[in-house]
Amino acid sequence: MMANRNNLDKLFSAARGFGAAGAGIATITAVIYLASVGASAAGDTNAPVTTASAPKVKNTQTTAKPDKKAEARPKRELTGAELYAIHCNRCHAERYPAEFTDGQWKTLMLHMRVRANLPAKQAKLILDYLQDESGHY
Amino acid sequence: MKNQSVIWGIAAAGCAMTIVCLPQASAAVSDEDFNALKKLVVEQGQKIEQLEKTNALDQQQIQQLQQQLGQTQIVATNAAQKVETLSQIQPTYPLPNPTAGATHNFMLVGDAEVQFGKTAGQHSGFALADFAPIFLFRANDNVLFEAGFDTTLQNAGGPPGTGGGANTSFSMSFGQLDYLLNDYVTVIAGDMLLPLGTYNERNAGWLNKIPDAPLLDDQILPGSGVGAQLRGAVPVGEDGQMLTYSVYGVNGPGSVTGTGTAFQTSGDPTSGPNLDLGSNVGILGDGTQQNLHGNPSGGGRIGWFYPWKLHHDIELGISGQSGEWDDAGNHLWSAAVLDAAVHLGPYVEIKGEYANTWYGTDDAGTIHPHGWWVQAGYKLAGLNLDLPLVNDVELVGRYDGLNDGLGTKTDRYTAGFVYYLNNTLWFEGDYEYLSSHGPAGLPPNDFVLQLSYGF
Repeated sequence: MMANRNNLDKLFSAARGFGAAGAGIATITAVIYLASVGASAAGDTNAPVTTASAPKVKNTQTTAKPDKKAEARPKRELTGAELYAIHCNRCHAERYPAEFTDGQWKTLMLHMRVRANLPAKQAKLILDYLQDESGHY
Repeated sequence: MKNQSVIWGIAAAGCAMTIVCLPQASAAVSDEDFNALKKLVVEQGQKIEQLEKTNALDQQQIQQLQQQLGQTQIVATNAAQKVETLSQIQPTYPLPNPTAGATHNFMLVGDAEVQFGKTAGQHSGFALADFAPIFLFRANDNVLFEAGFDTTLQNAGGPPGTGGGANTSFSMSFGQLDYLLNDYVTVIAGDMLLPLGTYNERNAGWLNKIPDAPLLDDQILPGSGVGAQLRGAVPVGEDGQMLTYSVYGVNGPGSVTGTGTAFQTSGDPTSGPNLDLGSNVGILGDGTQQNLHGNPSGGGRIGWFYPWKLHHDIELGISGQSGEWDDAGNHLWSAAVLDAAVHLGPYVEIKGEYANTWYGTDDAGTIHPHGWWVQAGYKLAGLNLDLPLVNDVELVGRYDGLNDGLGTKTDRYTAGFVYYLNNTLWFEGDYEYLSSHGPAGLPPNDFVLQLSYGF
């Protein structure tokens, strides 16, 4: 009888833990989703990094519906230098490219790709930038 | 006709008289004049001869100069051709030979700190000499082994009069093998820094702008765990936005006494908590496991990162872990952590975490430790003042708190600064005000100065 109660307590405790964690995950997932949608919508009017040089289209007094394709901000791939500026400074002061050799940067970027969970392609672009600018072989 | 004959006669007579008179006029030049004239002519001849010789020398010099000029023109032409040739070559460094490049590379990175501090009720003094190297060994493009260590010099004595000397602690913070399976999955195994929040992985040590860690670090959350992990990132679009994930299994927390009681001695808060977040790391010297529960803990983190322009970004994450903690496996230890970080330009940074944990016990029901920290920094360079010393300063503030679930509650308010001597050498300082109550209460205030170097 006592063993059954302990098992029930254990089951209840586990269920409560996982339930709370699940509710938290669901809440954050919803927040992330809403933020993603908001960010995507805001991208039509704001000037994000990829459209810093793009001319803004002002809302003119016309009766015609705006051409969304024409207003869509032009997409371009971020450069290694831009990704370096975006990611590295999030956690630490930027390290100058000339501080390490090509081979050392390769090792460091493997380390940072794992530690900061960087996408492979972005990590490669950052590595290319650092190696191009390092001046050491 | 007669007149013409007369005129012709007179003219003929005049010519005859002229012819007769001329020899008499020549005969009038004296010998002296003649000799003088002769001498003059001879001297003029000598001068002409000298001038001719001089002219011949000049001609030789002119020819030599012309030859030298020609050689100079050839040299100049060659130089111009060389310059033109060089200008057409791209100013690049010698390209590395990929076939000769080593696939292996070993690096030493990490940080070192020295502190001077004063805690309320105690004498001030140099409090910490810490050396924390990280060894990185890249075996190839997809395999990296990394291990972090912490070497700290500390006072070996107890209270005054009970001992003396110093000793050095040496501990491994983490040691893990990373295998980059593909662009989206990295497999990790070993003693891993756990992605419960981001402090453990990305904010500790030299990366922290305040000399000490938030209260919850290593108090209610484990810093590392032995096990395996899958992690990766998926880019969303081309503007830097991405989703990240981590999923792992580790041994999980253990019990100091092996039992499931709240304190090491049941009902005695002074005996210390029985939950042991960091001990469950392997096999004992006698071949047995430190803890006997056989089921590992599971955990993970998902995150979203969005940079809307350079140096403007937001990151949100949620992470958690759950698993048995007592040897009998009767109780679970679980944690849920929310983390967030925002950068509003190159000068403003705000980040923080909230951690909620809970675990069952034999004698005190469910215990609910929880804590939080929020930290903000502002670099004075953003004021655009023409004051170099001021521009190298960042002001930081932090509010953190901890409830250990065993009767001790602490709130801490911290104000400090970072003076960037350069991008790796920092001089930091802070003043901390604490409000702490309970059996494990902390001193009311503290100030710390720290010199830290990241390498």
